[in-house]
Amino acid sequence: MKLVIYEDSTYENFYPFSLVRPVFELRCGATSLSEKLRRNFPSLDVAYSTRSYLTDTFQAKVGSAQVNNLPALDDDLFIANGRWLCINTQITAEGPEEVGVKEGSIVYVRVQQETVRKYLGQDLNEFLNTVLEVLPKKAVEEELVSYCWDIVHHNSDALVADFQFLGQAGVHGKMHELSCVYGEESQVFVASEAVIQPMVVLDSTEGPIIIEDGATIFPHSRIEGPCFIGQDTQIVGGKIREGCSIGPVCRVGGEVEESIIHGYSNKYHDGFLGHAYVGEWVNLGAITTNSDLKNDYSTVEVKLNGQLIDTNDTKVGSFIGDHTKTSIGTLFNTGSIVGMMTNILGGSEILPKTIPSFCLFANGKTFKGFGLRKFLQTAETAMGRRKVPLTEAERQMLTYAYELTKDERQEAVKKSRRQILSN
Amino acid sequence: MLSNEEIRDRIINVTTMILNIDSSQIKNDSDFASDLGAESLQSVELVAGFEEEFEIEMDEEEALSVSSVGEAVEYIAKVVADQHG
Repeated sequence: MKLVIYEDSTYENFYPFSLVRPVFELRCGATSLSEKLRRNFPSLDVAYSTRSYLTDTFQAKVGSAQVNNLPALDDDLFIANGRWLCINTQITAEGPEEVGVKEGSIVYVRVQQETVRKYLGQDLNEFLNTVLEVLPKKAVEEELVSYCWDIVHHNSDALVADFQFLGQAGVHGKMHELSCVYGEESQVFVASEAVIQPMVVLDSTEGPIIIEDGATIFPHSRIEGPCFIGQDTQIVGGKIREGCSIGPVCRVGGEVEESIIHGYSNKYHDGFLGHAYVGEWVNLGAITTNSDLKNDYSTVEVKLNGQLIDTNDTKVGSFIGDHTKTSIGTLFNTGSIVGMMTNILGGSEILPKTIPSFCLFANGKTFKGFGLRKFLQTAETAMGRRKVPLTEAERQMLTYAYELTKDERQEAVKKSRRQILSN
Repeated sequence: MLSNEEIRDRIINVTTMILNIDSSQIKNDSDFASDLGAESLQSVELVAGFEEEFEIEMDEEEALSVSSVGEAVEYIAKVVADQHG
């Protein structure tokens, strides 16, 4: 039997992050959505289905696992939607053929080889539509995330579940005597190669804290659980409030609350980030700050892919795509979507709530900037500083993402051009 | 079809507006950066201004490699001819 983790047709709801990774590689808690699925069904070999242009870069990350290889699925299958936040579930891979459904969306499909052979053609999503018609359906109360703000919303619960799954506790690393755990030490795991410098407070009164190997917590940092500090991450005097997932290999200071920061991103200086989701290789300049609450406490609307969406949530921060850089003093409005590989010179005004990918935003206007080659050069330089190469497969994938985002960028650029000559 | 003279006049207009300089400072061989003081961000603004003025789309790298007013006239004339016939 195999576990198949797939993306459904809603992947654009997770732009800009899903431009460069499958939806199931988004982090929620200490691990990605796919890691939670894998650990829940540990005895099964795993195969993945994602958009074809992501195949090479994702394959490089998962080694020998099957990616987009339909002939390899000739087996009994447990097919899991990559949007499934699989924590505290009672659902098992074994059992009768059925389709687990929540509000019209597939959560999982349990299917035998015979049915796979009968209906699986060239497209997994077509197969899923077919089995949705022919197999018994079962309504389930599992959580399917629909947007990135859902992931942020569930981050604290996922952190608690990840800590329980980890099954380890205690301070195993080097912790200075002038630092302390405030709360239960059984709710803290500091790995053996982590360092807690003097004057650090690990506050586990409201939830668990995980600090991985190679992480260093610098003086005057306060970390509130639930929280995850990933491998080789530095917290440089930060106020890390509840519900944060940071790392691996990040450098983070200032104030961060209920936010997820993927690997290799920096927010070294002061500034507030709340209810935010940040991709890889992002650099946020000093004092970069986002709003996560409107002055009238109403629910936050987000403009995503041209559609205005009410999040039904009053606390929503900003969503900042991979490789984007902000200047000092950048101010993001509540519920901002900031594209990937964008260079933002913020200035003193609050920025528009939508900024496209692969552009230069300056003086309140969107420009095409210096071209794709320059964006790739900057990425190569940033990655080289951490001794990570930008591979040819990644260049091709990024080039594809550049083309995918062209229309949105072009629209913003044209609007700005009109302003240039009318001023 | 625009003449090179018309293109030059319009380039000068856009340049004076974006760089906030007097048109008398702008010669055919003026270098946007070293003579007219265009910093990198202003170069990007100039490209956007020319695109708006001539209703064209320029390749960013090609456009930014143009250094002088005279070169800009030639380059834009070619793009205008390609895109507007």
